[in-house]
Amino acid sequence: MQLSERDQTLLDGAEGEAAQQAMSALVQLGEAYDAPDMVDIGYAHVHAGMALYKGDVELIEATAQQGARMVVPASTNIANADMGDWQGIGAPETLGRLQQRAEAAHRRMGSATSFTCTPYWAGHWPTWNMHIASIESGVTVFANSVLGARSNRDGYFAVYAGMTGRYPRFGLHLDRNRQPTHRVTVSAQPRGTAEFTALGYAVGTAVGSGVPLIQGIRRRPSLDELDALGVGMATSGGVAMFILPGVTPPFGEDADAPGLPEIEISEAEIAGVFDTFCTGGETGFDLVHLGCPHASFEEMKYYADLLAGRRVAPGVELWITTSRAVRQMAREAGLLAPLLASGARVVTDTCPISCHFACTCSPDPALGVTPPTLRTILVDSAKQAHYVRDMIQCPTLFTTSELAVESAVTGRFVPRSRRNG
Amino acid sequence: MAETSWQARGVVRGVADGAALVSQTALSFLGDLDIRSGRVVGRSSDLCGECVAGRVLVMLASRGSAGAWRFLYQLKMHDTHPAALILREMPDPSVTQGAILADVPVVVAPEGTFWSKLRGGDILRVDGSSGRIERCQR
Repeated sequence: MQLSERDQTLLDGAEGEAAQQAMSALVQLGEAYDAPDMVDIGYAHVHAGMALYKGDVELIEATAQQGARMVVPASTNIANADMGDWQGIGAPETLGRLQQRAEAAHRRMGSATSFTCTPYWAGHWPTWNMHIASIESGVTVFANSVLGARSNRDGYFAVYAGMTGRYPRFGLHLDRNRQPTHRVTVSAQPRGTAEFTALGYAVGTAVGSGVPLIQGIRRRPSLDELDALGVGMATSGGVAMFILPGVTPPFGEDADAPGLPEIEISEAEIAGVFDTFCTGGETGFDLVHLGCPHASFEEMKYYADLLAGRRVAPGVELWITTSRAVRQMAREAGLLAPLLASGARVVTDTCPISCHFACTCSPDPALGVTPPTLRTILVDSAKQAHYVRDMIQCPTLFTTSELAVESAVTGRFVPRSRRNG
Repeated sequence: MAETSWQARGVVRGVADGAALVSQTALSFLGDLDIRSGRVVGRSSDLCGECVAGRVLVMLASRGSAGAWRFLYQLKMHDTHPAALILREMPDPSVTQGAILADVPVVVAPEGTFWSKLRGGDILRVDGSSGRIERCQR
């Protein structure tokens, strides 16, 4: 791989141990994928350092301790506890305190401590043709598809990219991989974020890790719907980019390209995703969750509107999860008071599948974390539903945002009704 | 002493050996494994009930999640990680990043006779730098 003079300087340790280790790891990654050289990145969305995972906060702390500094704008991904109020959702003190140590490490490195899976709603908005690195697959698909930036589905190495400003040129950093691999014709007309996550989930199931070119949606989806569409595909498949001709920036948007495998998604497939994730009983759910991925300001307005003057049913918890930045915007817009008055909780930095409810990875026993037994979680997102099944391992109910609120208020599940078309 | 050897593509550096654990289905590092014990718990995997700790894990592909790196690293933190990975296809960047972080050598696309001659339990030595896989006498 061709290294620039500065890459070589970093590799030789001239800018310290942390940068040397980061560059060495990036070179190994580049060689694995036959990258010809490295590109300059303009932004990195990096790992939070997760308190539930053994040695994980310590890994971020060690990186900061070595003298790592972010040389490009950097945001931090979702974490395992609401660092401002972990007690509110029943997380133990030890977990909250450990998570706060990751926050301190990120501050030292110069990252914006956003702790969200939707940093774009918190102002991190990379632009057309900018190379970026992202640990969160939802950010990757939004940046590639909606914003026209260039990102792979990265892991921890987004931190290394942020520290060096460099990333090996492979995958979706290359034009040749930003071309459609499947043509998807949608005959259904989904409305709202829940239905768009279900559409995305159906598309991801069909195309795996391909780049779907989607046609048939008769109106321009809202930004929230585009976000929902992407995270759905990134969850069921390995999709990192989709193309919606006339809506997404022009990468391989030739809708008539010959020879692409054809896939049709109808109302039946969308309804099928909702059905798959309705495994719980229609009463007796413990938790209703809105805000997967983390809610935008527009979604906060919508939830406030749906909950105005209403009251969450006894025995039911309603969580709205979002970023600190969006919560602050909501507060200043007067949206928090009516939400809290309804009995809803506004939780930041984490979400049900990211908090101490997850039992996929048993936490360090020293943390004193015992995942609570939950009967059923009711959600408005195919992504949350998928990971509740795999990580919390309890039954789910899946409906639209509006009907999720209706369910929370009445204590009885209101399923999405099928549509014609 | 090497009895047979095959050439593959070296993806993640390092040398390790262990008994082969061979899967014909794709394995997801998120959900299919119990991190503490290294045991495969995913019912869709043909390795369900087996333990990956210290084994040379041989599979067609890894499946799904961009969070794969984190679970591979967690296996390392719990000392339940596989000794090495042999895959037919290039893994997601996330898997490769996890393997580099966890010092687990990875080789990909071994030459043809590997798949027909390999037996589960064979003692393999994997060199992630040269891409060489050696079967050692027991």
